[in-house]
Amino acid sequence: MVDIIMQIAGVLIFFSIVFGVLRLILGRTVIDRVVAIDMLTVVSISLIALRAHLSGRFVYLDVALVYGLLSFLAVLAIARFLEKGP
Amino acid sequence: MLELLVLLVCGSILVSGILAVCLSDLMPAMISAGLASLFASVSYVLLAAPDVAMAEAAIGSGLTTLIFLYTIRKTSDGKE
Repeated sequence: MVDIIMQIAGVLIFFSIVFGVLRLILGRTVIDRVVAIDMLTVVSISLIALRAHLSGRFVYLDVALVYGLLSFLAVLAIARFLEKGP
Repeated sequence: MLELLVLLVCGSILVSGILAVCLSDLMPAMISAGLASLFASVSYVLLAAPDVAMAEAAIGSGLTTLIFLYTIRKTSDGKE
């Protein structure tokens, strides 16, 4: 049962990365790309959590935690820059 | 399954690096460079190096993006 759920999670993460990168390539405006990188951040955190479960080494969850904090900061800085203009 | 995800992440590093070089606008190029750093960090975790991944996430994705934003704001002056 758990194996089937992990397989489904892996497939979902795969297609999320594919479509997110596709949106980044095709993105018409800057805001499309910012939302794409925000979505890819969340997908990356879930990928790290999946890896932590599969390998059984829970030190990887600390990396996911640090990554969630820092990427939130980067997206916030970009959004503030877009609000004010260059 | 995990090997396929590693290959996908490495291909995404390549794609976002090429985008960061080829895009002419500054802001999307910087976003693409940040994405290359993000995927590099994820690939370090997938290749079992969590300390390197943490340093890469702190410096490459957080600090570099902030410094580039500050520099673009200081130098662009409203026009390209």
